[in-house]
Amino acid sequence: MSDLIGLQTLSEKPTRLDQSQLKLNFSEAAVSQLEEIKSHYPSEKAAILPALWIAQREYGGFLSSEAIAEVAHRLHRAYAEVEGVATFYSMYNTRHKPGKHKLEVCTCLSCHVNGAYRILDLIEKKLGIRPNETTEDGLFTLEEVECLNACDRAVVMQVGDSYYGPLTESLLDTIIADLKSRTESTVIQMADEIVKVHLPESAV
Amino acid sequence: MAERKLLLEHSHETSFRTRAGYEQTGGYEGLKKALGMERQAIIDEVKTSGLRGRGGAGFPTWIKWNGLPKEKKTSHFIICNADEGEPGTFKDKELIEKCPFLLVEGMTIAGVATQADAGYIYIRGEYLDGARSLRSAIDEAYKAGYLGKNIMGSGVNFDLYIHMGAGSYECGEETALMSSLMGERGMPRLKFPHAPLPTISGVFEKPTLINNVETYCCAPFILKNGGEWYATLGASTKNSRGTKIFSVSGHVKKPGNYEIEFGTPLQELLEIAGGMVDGDLKFCVPGGSSVPMIKKAEVERAIIGYEEMSEVRSMVGSGGCMFFNDSTCVVTFTWRTAQFYANESCGKCTPCREGTRWMVQILDRILAGGGNPGDAELLQQVASQIDGRSFCPLGDAAAWPVAAALRVFPEEFAYFIENGSSMVTGAKTLAMAP
Repeated sequence: MSDLIGLQTLSEKPTRLDQSQLKLNFSEAAVSQLEEIKSHYPSEKAAILPALWIAQREYGGFLSSEAIAEVAHRLHRAYAEVEGVATFYSMYNTRHKPGKHKLEVCTCLSCHVNGAYRILDLIEKKLGIRPNETTEDGLFTLEEVECLNACDRAVVMQVGDSYYGPLTESLLDTIIADLKSRTESTVIQMADEIVKVHLPESAV
Repeated sequence: MAERKLLLEHSHETSFRTRAGYEQTGGYEGLKKALGMERQAIIDEVKTSGLRGRGGAGFPTWIKWNGLPKEKKTSHFIICNADEGEPGTFKDKELIEKCPFLLVEGMTIAGVATQADAGYIYIRGEYLDGARSLRSAIDEAYKAGYLGKNIMGSGVNFDLYIHMGAGSYECGEETALMSSLMGERGMPRLKFPHAPLPTISGVFEKPTLINNVETYCCAPFILKNGGEWYATLGASTKNSRGTKIFSVSGHVKKPGNYEIEFGTPLQELLEIAGGMVDGDLKFCVPGGSSVPMIKKAEVERAIIGYEEMSEVRSMVGSGGCMFFNDSTCVVTFTWRTAQFYANESCGKCTPCREGTRWMVQILDRILAGGGNPGDAELLQQVASQIDGRSFCPLGDAAAWPVAAALRVFPEEFAYFIENGSSMVTGAKTLAMAP
């Protein structure tokens, strides 16, 4: 009986591929950007990655199932295919909605020997969160990442489209204070910047 | 020998990032020459230069250029691999940020030689500064008639596009990169001889040329000054020609990118980077995290060159050269390296997907003070069973550093397993990931 109840709940979930329930959220600008990007490739499928970047921006920094469904719809792909692609790449936020700013601390080799875990500890104490957590006010998400390839600036951290390093406690304080004063989310801003570099000047 | 700046000669000048400034330093002379040459002559020039792939494998560049069909029956594509992810390497980052026109010109030359319709620059998502710099360079090149339809009145058409990655080390592998560019999960494909080479069937199942950023950046110089001139650089080595950019980091006084001629002693690279900071040199990982580590004695006799480095049982790799001082615990270092590969394994091939996890589990256990006798041998066994058993070299790259660490510093592993603490730092459990 319990199995049946399980099935019941499953079938009550709105089906993700139901086109009639699909709400399209892309702005007009986003649609024309996607059209331009599609023209760069001989296949529509190849635009999935850039389209996911557009969706990450349009959906407030988070690729919800609605966002993925919209990309699938616009590129005429199956939902599962686009979801499979999105979850493969670490820079698409598919698991949790990130905070307004994502602090990505590199702890890989050169950063590791230069004290990356000490820095990570320090940030954990300052923000009161552990990696993969978001502060209660929704401002910061902390993440430990693999090599950012700026080893000459170890220990290095990425926030949005900027790299910061070598990190010290005072630099961290400055960065955090600066981020608190910003109105724009660096997560959304970064997705926007990534979309823009795909577009030739003539199309902007 | 000291630094020999060829690619990076003007990297510090901001004007070099503009078309006008680039042309003032002799930019686009290589492309102009190439447009007046037979396609085969361009490829022969690259052959004479002795240029080898700078991404890590050191494969002769001209063979790839020569591999695309001479009689064009379908679209041809070229790809630039700017998905730099090898820990310790940051040379492509500097090249695309500071010398974007070198790459744009180099790719245009390659496009002309291979009759490509379009080129894609696959940049890792994090490299936004570089991507913006390339964006403005490409826009300027289009305006000046160096890209697009009928390049400089030659009748050749060539388009160049930027494609951003989204966070995956695996996509730096060429077949995985092509999967990713086609809008798929970045997983590698079956390779030659089990499948056709990319030059026959690559991205979008069309003939494709794929090279690293630094490789393309060499092309303008080879065309401008001739392959013979280029081959005089590094002539003291067996089979490595030209210059190579090394990204030096770790415990050195002046970490950064340094361009040297092949044939330069490795010890000199360390001196160029200001020498060691806080203590003496213990070991060096000369070509990115996947190449085997070497001890101080080997560093002192190593000569930089593809064949020369194998004499000290290591590699040039991608040029991510890390020096570590005597305060570094090799066991912890190996644990962090193993963890990188476990996190980045794409999950396609069982030996790599499972093996990288097992290595981390064994190392976790050792670091937590619970190492069992025989763990070193077990680790060695797992590493050897990954090596050569996956579609792409990520598996090999995960196995080599662990195997090398066990071979070079067996006493540190034995000590940690027996005493539950580090032989170097004495620490019981080192700062670890949560």
